[in-house]
Amino acid sequence: MITAKTALRRQNKAQRIERVGKLARGKFVSPDKVPEILRRIIEPGDILCLEGDNQKQADFLANQLATLENKDLRDIHLVMSCITLPAHIELFKKGMIKQVDFCYAGPQGGAVADLVKAKKFPVGAIHTYNELYARYYIDLTPRVALIAAAQADRKGNLFLAANTEETPAIVEPTAFSDGIVFAQVNEIVDKLPRIDIPADQVDLVVQAPYPMHLQALFTRDPAAITDVQVLMAMVALRGIYEKYEVQSLNHGVGFNTAAIELLLPTYGERLGLKGKICKYWMVNPLPTLIPAIESGWVESVFAVGGEVGMERYTAARSDVFFTGRDGSFHSNRAMGQLAGHYAIDMFIGASLQIDINGNSSTVSKNRITGFGGAPNMGCQPTGRRHPTKAWLKAGAEANPGPGSPPGRKLVVQMVETFQAGRVPTFVEELDATDPSIRKALHGVTPVMIYGDDVTHVVTEEGIANLAACRSIAERQAAIRAVAGYTPVGLKRKKRETEDLRARGIVQLPEDVGVRPSEASRSLLATQDIKGLVRWSNGLYDPPSQFVDW
Amino acid sequence: MSGVLFHEQTARQRIASLADAGSFVELLPPPERITSPYLAQLGIPVSFDDGIVIGHAKIGGKKIYLAAQVGQFVGGAVGEIHGAKLTGLFKAAARDKVPCVLIIESGGVRLHEGSSGEIAIAETMRAIFECRALKVPTIAVIATDIGAYGGIGILSTCCDYRIMTEHGRLGISGPIVIEKWMGKKAYDSANRALVWKTSGGKTKYLLGDADALAHDSPEAVRDAIARLLTKSSAVSLASVKARQKDLEKRLKKFGTTDDPDAVWKGMGVRDIGAASLASGPEFAALAKRGK
Amino acid sequence: MEKFAKAFPSKPLPSKTAKPWALAGVVGSGNLEVLVERGGRPTDTMQCHVETSIPGYKASWLAALADFAHHYPAGGTKVTINDQGAPPVLVNLRLRQAYDHLTKGDK
Repeated sequence: MITAKTALRRQNKAQRIERVGKLARGKFVSPDKVPEILRRIIEPGDILCLEGDNQKQADFLANQLATLENKDLRDIHLVMSCITLPAHIELFKKGMIKQVDFCYAGPQGGAVADLVKAKKFPVGAIHTYNELYARYYIDLTPRVALIAAAQADRKGNLFLAANTEETPAIVEPTAFSDGIVFAQVNEIVDKLPRIDIPADQVDLVVQAPYPMHLQALFTRDPAAITDVQVLMAMVALRGIYEKYEVQSLNHGVGFNTAAIELLLPTYGERLGLKGKICKYWMVNPLPTLIPAIESGWVESVFAVGGEVGMERYTAARSDVFFTGRDGSFHSNRAMGQLAGHYAIDMFIGASLQIDINGNSSTVSKNRITGFGGAPNMGCQPTGRRHPTKAWLKAGAEANPGPGSPPGRKLVVQMVETFQAGRVPTFVEELDATDPSIRKALHGVTPVMIYGDDVTHVVTEEGIANLAACRSIAERQAAIRAVAGYTPVGLKRKKRETEDLRARGIVQLPEDVGVRPSEASRSLLATQDIKGLVRWSNGLYDPPSQFVDW
Repeated sequence: MSGVLFHEQTARQRIASLADAGSFVELLPPPERITSPYLAQLGIPVSFDDGIVIGHAKIGGKKIYLAAQVGQFVGGAVGEIHGAKLTGLFKAAARDKVPCVLIIESGGVRLHEGSSGEIAIAETMRAIFECRALKVPTIAVIATDIGAYGGIGILSTCCDYRIMTEHGRLGISGPIVIEKWMGKKAYDSANRALVWKTSGGKTKYLLGDADALAHDSPEAVRDAIARLLTKSSAVSLASVKARQKDLEKRLKKFGTTDDPDAVWKGMGVRDIGAASLASGPEFAALAKRGK
Repeated sequence: MEKFAKAFPSKPLPSKTAKPWALAGVVGSGNLEVLVERGGRPTDTMQCHVETSIPGYKASWLAALADFAHHYPAGGTKVTINDQGAPPVLVNLRLRQAYDHLTKGDK
């Protein structure tokens, strides 16, 4: 038998395509033939890439793959961003996978933890997005990539619509190394609105019987934002955005940052910050950003992905969003992550757990989720050379030594001291340090953002400026000072906290000019989804689960 | 587009923002600690007002009795003490010939307390009819998604007037109960748009079950109350018969449709999209309400 | 349900307050109501009585109440709390709101 290793790659590819034979008409195949075609084009030992991130999934192809058995398909080295579908888990249960390298396992985090316990999850490593895409060009180049597109034309050119996401990052290394690119498309048309992937990088196309899975991930209902989150947002705006004049930034998906977005046209305007902060964004088209955009705060938004319901709005606001020549929205995950790494003043996000050294993680004993893209942005890019006001100011505070860069990216963790159900966010030691998890990951503790990279921690108690701390002990004291009434917080010493506060390393809301009694949802530019639709002049079409009219 | 929303206020905040400044005097206030003995026995937290704040106040200088239910506390459900406060207030309104306004937020009877809630609701209805016989205006305000359901839904329709907002819902059985009995095909309680288009304030206004549709702000609700505080009419056999006829007509007109938009169209709404996003008087302007 | 009572040292209330009592918050999931009344004795302690539906968090309750008594002149007040699982931050916020209403009136 010929294997991928003994044959020349190009010859090998030709043989695989030949095996497909009459099952395809040119590049096009019918849905019922897909399992058999997959069996013929994939060989034991292959590196197989399944497209799928936290939003977009080549779900039809994944589901067809999962109908095969171990005798059809084995010794597969699976590479993919996000393990999110039941079909993905099925591949492991059937024993097809000899190794997996991935980034994130959101909704399947529990199933992944179970597979790890059952020793059925042979993981190479958990990556960040760009780290994995980079390895597609080095040592994890796919032999076969199963991808998803919105439309194909009769030649096999692909249109990716709003959710370009990671498709180019998968197709390029595969197509330019004689790998096979197999695309599922929602429809086949005579003329595409625009060409995102040229036909000569595509080998096979199937029109899937159902449209690809798209997850609405960035829709945050303003109705669920609490007064406490408004308080934290006010503190962050004054103590960080205003102080450092943050012009370019990334926001996470949480309600804390949604509150900030909705405060810009109201509270931010009152503080005279319009035009001074929050002009350039690397975020997905967040519905909660609509009021700020409509109020003229935002110069540009580049995105790693789309968001369900934002298609008409982003097309109408092409002066802010990146759009194709057809006028519709464009995203790119690899480039977006790169932009978020090098070109922004600040990353601000939330986490499930933060330890006393400032390390954070979303992994617990019963859920292994992984990283996604946050660490690509929530880190210090020491390859950065261009200065901005915020970068230099944060750098000066960190007291750089003779061998360190003059500037720092602001990396901010914004969390409430307790999660739902009174689970403390602050812990002495992360659940991620559990020996069984470390063993499965070859000794690596899955830390989302390292404490050394974090410049600030914001809680409802105030701000801890970790970058300004001069020792590990001081950093720990600063974290305890804002950890509230969690066990970690209760261990703080009054004296130490007062000293840190006197030096501005710990700041309470009143120290940055925020009166907690002022913090109220009524400050938000709108308090519900319908208000966002009104702000968008009816151009935002929220997913049906958010619609009550 | 920002400001205080009526549906987001607590019962006490609603009262404070509706009443003339400083005019509200609470009856049985929290320091008296008249709390439910039953909930305490069941290990459920109690509240000092047992889920309803009652008292008298002035609106535009006119004295009224005023009550607001606390929807967050066991769903605003009516227990023994809550019910006694409610009944007492409407009885006082009849006795003193002072209009009575109830800000509703309740799923009905508090099941933990047996039939005491049922009895209280029946007695309150009687007190409402007594008010109306004496031409003492009675007004129900329904402005949150907890809405007016079960016995409180019925009670609200006994009042002279109902003021609703787009957030308010009015019905007898809640959506989940309807789905449970009729099946998901007949009524999908997870379909929020369907739920609001069948039981929400706008539809209730179109059908004439609500007499005013106000914006979701304390000022708008207060204005609507002030406008309706002047009139009351006794419930008579003739008025009940006329109402029955109206309902028969409605059933004939819409009884077979399963599309709530057809009801809107049938009630004179031309642009469904614009009407869906409009609120209060702007919505009313987009419909010619057939009443 | 868990119940406990404790008095915390606190500077005396201002001699005049806007109201004899004030209430903030509602009893609902993840929320609480705080009733603050004047007229407690002695005038240099804040007397607290807590009933909570979630047992096992006495240490953080006591720490939050002690901090409040330390930061605000609340001596001579009686603080009574009905809690349905509110996080400490909300305890703090409601205490502050009730105290503001008591001393300055409804705003």
